[in-house]
Amino acid sequence: MPVGNAKRLVGAPPEPPLIVLRNVGKAFGAIEALRNVSLDLRRGDVLGLVGDNGAGKSTLVKMLAGAHDPTSGEILLDGVPHLLSPPAQALRLGIETVYQDLSLVGSFTAAENFFLGREIAWGKGPALFRWMRRRAMMDAAVKGLEDLHIEIPRIRTQPVDRMSGGQRQLAAIARGAFWGSKLLLLDEPTAALGVRESREVLDLITRLSARGLTILMVTHNLEHLWSVCNRVVVMRRGTKVADMESRDTTMEEVVAFITGAKGERDLAGAPLANHGA
Amino acid sequence: MRRSEVAGAGALAGRAAGAPPTGRLRRSEATSRALRFVSTYGTILALVAMVIVFTILQPDTFATVDNVRNILNDMAIGAIVAAGLTIPLVGGDFDLSIGYVASFSGLLVVGLLSNSQWPIVLAVPVVMALGTLIGLVNGLIVSKIGVNAFIATLGTGTVVVGLNYAYSGGIPLQLTHAMSFTDVALGRVWGIPHLVLAMALVLGLLWLMLNRTVQGQHIKAIGVSAESARRAGIGVDRSRIVAFAIAGFCAATGGILMASNLGSGQVAAGDGFMLTSFAAAFLGSAALREGQFHIVGTFIGILTVAVGNNGLAMIGAPIFVQYLFSGTLLVVAVALSGLGRRYARR
Repeated sequence: MPVGNAKRLVGAPPEPPLIVLRNVGKAFGAIEALRNVSLDLRRGDVLGLVGDNGAGKSTLVKMLAGAHDPTSGEILLDGVPHLLSPPAQALRLGIETVYQDLSLVGSFTAAENFFLGREIAWGKGPALFRWMRRRAMMDAAVKGLEDLHIEIPRIRTQPVDRMSGGQRQLAAIARGAFWGSKLLLLDEPTAALGVRESREVLDLITRLSARGLTILMVTHNLEHLWSVCNRVVVMRRGTKVADMESRDTTMEEVVAFITGAKGERDLAGAPLANHGA
Repeated sequence: MRRSEVAGAGALAGRAAGAPPTGRLRRSEATSRALRFVSTYGTILALVAMVIVFTILQPDTFATVDNVRNILNDMAIGAIVAAGLTIPLVGGDFDLSIGYVASFSGLLVVGLLSNSQWPIVLAVPVVMALGTLIGLVNGLIVSKIGVNAFIATLGTGTVVVGLNYAYSGGIPLQLTHAMSFTDVALGRVWGIPHLVLAMALVLGLLWLMLNRTVQGQHIKAIGVSAESARRAGIGVDRSRIVAFAIAGFCAATGGILMASNLGSGQVAAGDGFMLTSFAAAFLGSAALREGQFHIVGTFIGILTVAVGNNGLAMIGAPIFVQYLFSGTLLVVAVALSGLGRRYARR
């Protein structure tokens, strides 16, 4: 255990989890996409979120990304209730999202995408009077990618839509890691990739985790999940049906939860949804 | 889950997502490369071809310094209006009101000078501000209310025609006071016409805005993917409004210069800028960049139209040929631009 944490154990209360979802629900009109979901995300977790289509995974991710507000319950960041919307607010709070379609601007270079909406510029006030410091942005982005050992040919000049799918995904995740001081949300990071490219993305996720970044990753691929995640959360029909350390379970068991062949289980310590409510 | 299944699914999904294909192509490589070439250099090839043909046909008059100055002078106002239109186009929005804004601005500035006897230094900024305001209204209707830009700007443009008729009664206005107003367009500095200098200034500023300021970066991002921009925290609505305001400002500037050039305010003199601006912008999107609008492209587009008209007039082509030329050019330009977008990133 690191020295800092050991000292803290002596007197101060333990650090709260990074994110706490407390009885969170989300309804779109009459449709309840999420019901009474409670979830603790501890610092350094790499959490794999699985479930069938329509189980509520995307709604949960969009909520953490600030795209939706919960219609019931609350979200605590560092122990303090926070409104994460709009998306710009979530970004300010250190939560970065890599959406399935990557959210990159195709005709821009990786560096331009890194700083999209957060350009380094001379001057203040309206964007019209702010002069971009292109060299500074380029250098910072290239350094950010080098730090993560991501090698993309012609990184300084190549628009991202000339890159391969795997390179684009690496660049998108690197952008998230570059800005995401607290939490990185990954929506199906390997869905569109071949075997070798998936491997590179999973290696990157492992490297980011080793640096202490907390990661929540939605996936359909249990093999990919097992190779990087220390926790598995299974969603089914808008509720959380399992929350386990991945070393304590098996793929067969997770599949059983996904399909509904098995009931609820919680080994990670967070209280499950209160069905009396 | 077996490993082979995972691999198969990954490979299929990769192809569906548009990753560079490794095997067969739907179209042959040579065809698609040729189409990409035409869509990237088509406009420039057409321009060079015309210059060569007209130089051969009219060796004594076409390729002369005087005629180059004529061409640049004739195209300057159109270039200013078209470059303004290019900004919302880069952001993914059409603006059909620019021609009517130019007409009204030209008429109004003459009216303010002659009828109201305002000084030039007051009348010109007021009309420029009014054009910017019309652009702001366009942007607000399109972004905040969510009306399709095509319909919204056709509507506001028609309202501007109404304002034009309400102000003028449909009768052209002659410049009767502040006669020095004509110097604004007709003057020269070191032999270079003011209009050409104004064109260089406006196009230079717009190029810097689009390529060097944060605002320009945001407008470009919105044009490629508004959703990506929104997710990155960019104020999409604000950027669209700014783009329309710039187009309105340039349309008004063009109208004022046109009135100065004519020495009068004509009710519909600027309406034609709409078509030539779109033709130039689309021609420009088939110059150097694959189907993207950009300022340098729009300049090349306007130059192509101007060289064509100048050369045709010089070889004595009847007036109907110039219309055939302009119309055909517009259709070809849009076709080239579409090709560019379709084959750009394959």
